[in-house]
Amino acid sequence: MRRTMLYLPGNNPNMLVRGYLFGSDGLILDLEDAVAVAEKENARILVSHFLRQGEFGDCEVTVRINGLDTEYWKDDLAAIVPHKSLQGVRVPKVEDAGMVKILDEELSHVEEKNGIPVGRTKIFCLLETAQGVWNAYDVAKASPRVAAIIPGGEDLVADLKTSRSPEGTELEWARRMMVFAARAAGVDALDTVFPRVTDDEGLRREAAFIKQLGFDGKSVIHPNQIPIIHDVFNPTEKEIESALKIVAAAKEAAARGLGAVSVDGRMVDVPVVKRAEYVLLKAGITEVE
Amino acid sequence: MSNTAQAGTLESMDCLVTATQGVPGSGVKVEITGSSAARFKSAMEKKVNEVVVSLGAKDIDLSIQDNGAIDLVLGARVEAALKKLMGGAK
Repeated sequence: MRRTMLYLPGNNPNMLVRGYLFGSDGLILDLEDAVAVAEKENARILVSHFLRQGEFGDCEVTVRINGLDTEYWKDDLAAIVPHKSLQGVRVPKVEDAGMVKILDEELSHVEEKNGIPVGRTKIFCLLETAQGVWNAYDVAKASPRVAAIIPGGEDLVADLKTSRSPEGTELEWARRMMVFAARAAGVDALDTVFPRVTDDEGLRREAAFIKQLGFDGKSVIHPNQIPIIHDVFNPTEKEIESALKIVAAAKEAAARGLGAVSVDGRMVDVPVVKRAEYVLLKAGITEVE
Repeated sequence: MSNTAQAGTLESMDCLVTATQGVPGSGVKVEITGSSAARFKSAMEKKVNEVVVSLGAKDIDLSIQDNGAIDLVLGARVEAALKKLMGGAK
């Protein structure tokens, strides 16, 4: 599950020590925007030590590396990829499939050099320009390592020559595009951050909107945002009850050699069963009697 | 090689490490001050020495102002300061 992935500044021991305690599904140890140029090397060393010895609970651990247009990204990979805790890298400003292939090759090189199974490190692509969003499907299909695509926030809005509004009108098309591209490519669609950290109601509205679009989760910049997003993404009691009924009925129908069945007066066929199974997965229910 | 290099901060759970190149033959000297120094000094010195040995640093004065850094943070900050001093940092 990737309902929430919390950014932690890569040069801040306090946040790196406590990050996993806030209950997000994933963590993003940030070597990019959260770290000043003069501190890049210090942050890289600190993050590397955390990946080797730090505590992360059940969180999926990723690192946002510096962009492929900088002098830092190869050193970032060399410092972080050897450590078992690392599950993926989040790469900023991906514009096309070629960039993913370059990153894939370098990851393979570092993995091979360190005796790690090639392909272990996943890639999370940030699409922060109009070109990146336009190429979303090709980016998502560029490597089997790609686990998710994520639309940009501030950078994308700047590239679109507009500004960020409370309603998010300017990001709406990019978000829809992201879900379509992700589903077509078989990867996750994760949303950008909600920047107004004290606006709980605004966050709840935005989380409900992106959930309805089909997103799997959202990036988070403040621990207080985590329970609100989980609350929106977690299935309700009513949804769980209905899903249990559907899956049980489908199982029974399959046992009797039937295709579609009716539950509470509604026809239940394969897509409805798949959706119900996904609800149960999100509720942590794996066995249905 | 520059004479002095620093890494870290005085923020909570961090430490500020200042590494200074000593005269040849002076060895490695470590001075630790701050919130945990009194109670954990020997464990901290052990960690610092581990990093110094792993990097092959010699004739270094290390001054560490601690504000509650855990072992791995201390190790990372010492490594960063030493690499900077030895010219390894980019």
